[in-house]
Amino acid sequence: MFQSVDEVIERLAGENYICNREVGTVVYLAAAMRKPILVEGPAGVGKTELGKVLAAALKLDLIRLQCYEGLDEAKALYEWEYAKQLLYTQILKDKIGEIVKGAQSLQAAVDLISQQDDVFFSDRFLLARPLLRAILAPQPTVLLIDEVDKSDTEFEAFLLEVLSDFQVSVPELGTLKARHVPLVVLTSNNSREVSDALKRRCLHLYLDFPDPKRELEIVRLKVPEADANLAAEVVQLLHRLRRLDLKKRPSISEALDWVKALTLLNIKNLDDRLVAETMSTLMKYEADIRKAQEELAEYLRVRKAKEPSGAGTSDKDLLH
Amino acid sequence: MLGRILEFSQMLRQNGVRVSVSENMDAVRALELLGIADRTLFKSALRASLVKRSIDVEPFNRLFDLYFLGQGQSSRASEQELMARLGLSPEQFEKMLEQIQEFLRRMDGEVSPLTRALLAGELAQVERMMFEAAEGELGEMTQWARGAGFIDQMAARFMLASIREEIEKFKMALARAGAEPRLSEKISEYAEQRFRELMRLAQRLLQRELQKKEAAVPGQRRSDDLSQKSFAYYTEDDIRRMSEVVTRLARRFKNLLSLRRRKARRGRLAVSATFRKNLQYGGVPFRIQLERRRKEKPQVVVLCDISDSVLNASRFMLQFVYSIQDLYTKVRSFVFVSDIGEVTRLFEEHELGQAVEMALRGDVIDVYSHSNFGRAFELFHRNHISAVTGKTTFVIIGDGRNNYNRANEWVIREIRQKAKQLIWLNPESRLTWGYGDSEMPRYAPYCDLVEECRNIEQLYKVIDRIAA
Repeated sequence: MFQSVDEVIERLAGENYICNREVGTVVYLAAAMRKPILVEGPAGVGKTELGKVLAAALKLDLIRLQCYEGLDEAKALYEWEYAKQLLYTQILKDKIGEIVKGAQSLQAAVDLISQQDDVFFSDRFLLARPLLRAILAPQPTVLLIDEVDKSDTEFEAFLLEVLSDFQVSVPELGTLKARHVPLVVLTSNNSREVSDALKRRCLHLYLDFPDPKRELEIVRLKVPEADANLAAEVVQLLHRLRRLDLKKRPSISEALDWVKALTLLNIKNLDDRLVAETMSTLMKYEADIRKAQEELAEYLRVRKAKEPSGAGTSDKDLLH
Repeated sequence: MLGRILEFSQMLRQNGVRVSVSENMDAVRALELLGIADRTLFKSALRASLVKRSIDVEPFNRLFDLYFLGQGQSSRASEQELMARLGLSPEQFEKMLEQIQEFLRRMDGEVSPLTRALLAGELAQVERMMFEAAEGELGEMTQWARGAGFIDQMAARFMLASIREEIEKFKMALARAGAEPRLSEKISEYAEQRFRELMRLAQRLLQRELQKKEAAVPGQRRSDDLSQKSFAYYTEDDIRRMSEVVTRLARRFKNLLSLRRRKARRGRLAVSATFRKNLQYGGVPFRIQLERRRKEKPQVVVLCDISDSVLNASRFMLQFVYSIQDLYTKVRSFVFVSDIGEVTRLFEEHELGQAVEMALRGDVIDVYSHSNFGRAFELFHRNHISAVTGKTTFVIIGDGRNNYNRANEWVIREIRQKAKQLIWLNPESRLTWGYGDSEMPRYAPYCDLVEECRNIEQLYKVIDRIAA
């Protein structure tokens, strides 16, 4: 799939996803070793995005399985379409009558019907859910199992079985084996520790908030219309904010939203009055917003102390 | 390389990182793919295949630096330092090295490979040779080596004396060969510097060995594994880090309860509703209708002891209570020492850290009095008993140390009769209950569940039991 780590980084960048060498290495290894990647890290650093982008970069189909509490095999693997089966039997009543016509006893009739078993338990009535779809896919796919920590431990054990062999047995049909081992990306928000057994089967990737330089790159890439100066300042401020004791630290996606909002309002500079008011795009809790505004004031104070001459120009900007 | 990787993962294991055989195999396969030339790739590959928990990343980084030497960097840095010291430009330095190598060739057989590598400036080579020597001999290194005999030990181990001699010999040979004085002066100063570097290197190597030994002492468990640490030993820092764990616990508490509700709802078949629904299919029970249970909103009343004796535990527990209150609408929280006061509003209006501090600081009740469970219970009965209804889960958090006051266990009995369930969580070890002024034996019979709750792991179990 990929020839080298650099190629991974390059091709992901081609899909507007900027990653460091560590991410590149893990992705390269996962593709080469055919092992699942388990991505952990704070919310909003691009864990899910990695799976999506990977599919796009490799030009493969993406199959996504969103985990939640109470998710079971029927929702994840396959289900028989009872309703459809029943409907068919109703419609084909006459036909079935013909088949059992010659039967002398109930036993004989059942035997006759059971010869037709295959008709009712065939692919036709099998409703493939994400996992089975990934296994049956004629082309290689990327399987994204999102928020695996939200699922129950029972489901995790079941997942283990699927991920190690990539085959499932459907009692009525026999064992189905994957034609192509999909490239699996699991993400976890750490709401509970994922079991060791599952971790052992995966390559582990810890995605953290990017360093300022890389984050600036991301902002410039995703919001190209943003003012260069503004983007740089926002990134600096973000790094200060993330060090605070917040209920929820501002994620990359929220930061992008914020930059977009500021750009829409035609704000070029962080000392604009409107900046503090738009902070609700960045922070989701009242207390956090208050802290962030204090930090913003502090940041502006420090900056002003550094370059006293710049104070006059910002007021002028306000007038336009 | 295989040996090194295995040894490294052994070291990880001794530091509490779980590494399995299959993960070792993954690491080796990954290195086959990537090679070992690139240091960052090498490190990422090992990290991705060996380390799976985020708390293990820090020890991994530490041990990686400890174990795999940063060879290239140290030698490059020292070279620049040397050039500056001798006042030579890079070209001149290069030229001098060539001349030295020339001399060394002429002295063939008189100097050991180690000295040769040292003088030729191949520090990586030197480091490797010393590392190999250390592997063989340092195995027996013990505690005392760190004492007074440290330098002597080191000198003996690496045969520094004989290297010193060889350098002297080299300088003499230089003089004999009739090199111009300015150059030979430079070269001998260069040799001195190199020798000093060797000393430093040896020292580093020894220390590293000792650190590795220390790191391998199984008794020294990682201290940041909070789940088993008793609340009583928490530091301020630990508690601050707790908030995340606590919210997670509270959410689990809620999820378990709601999951049980959902499962229970699935259980029973509503016959009449099923018939009615399936009339459109000619009476064939096509869509099953299950009985829907009335949603029961759990009500929780929490009483938390915040006296000095359990201060750390209550700080943690208050965080837990706060998180529960965040998730449920019908929670009433009280704190007590000798008085009792409600903190529900306080928790609603302030954010976590601040609210807990305010509760503990004595904004609600006097926290400097001696704890008196009996009085607190009586006061609760007098003022707040109406908060307890048939749907209430009543939780008491405290050590039950009553300072020999009246126990007033009749309040507990009455609450038990009124409430749905009564749970007592005690941050003291079960072994000490009933000794001294502990009144646990008096209170316990009236509780549905009495659990020791001294660390997160126990709290986790308690939550599972309550919700089960």
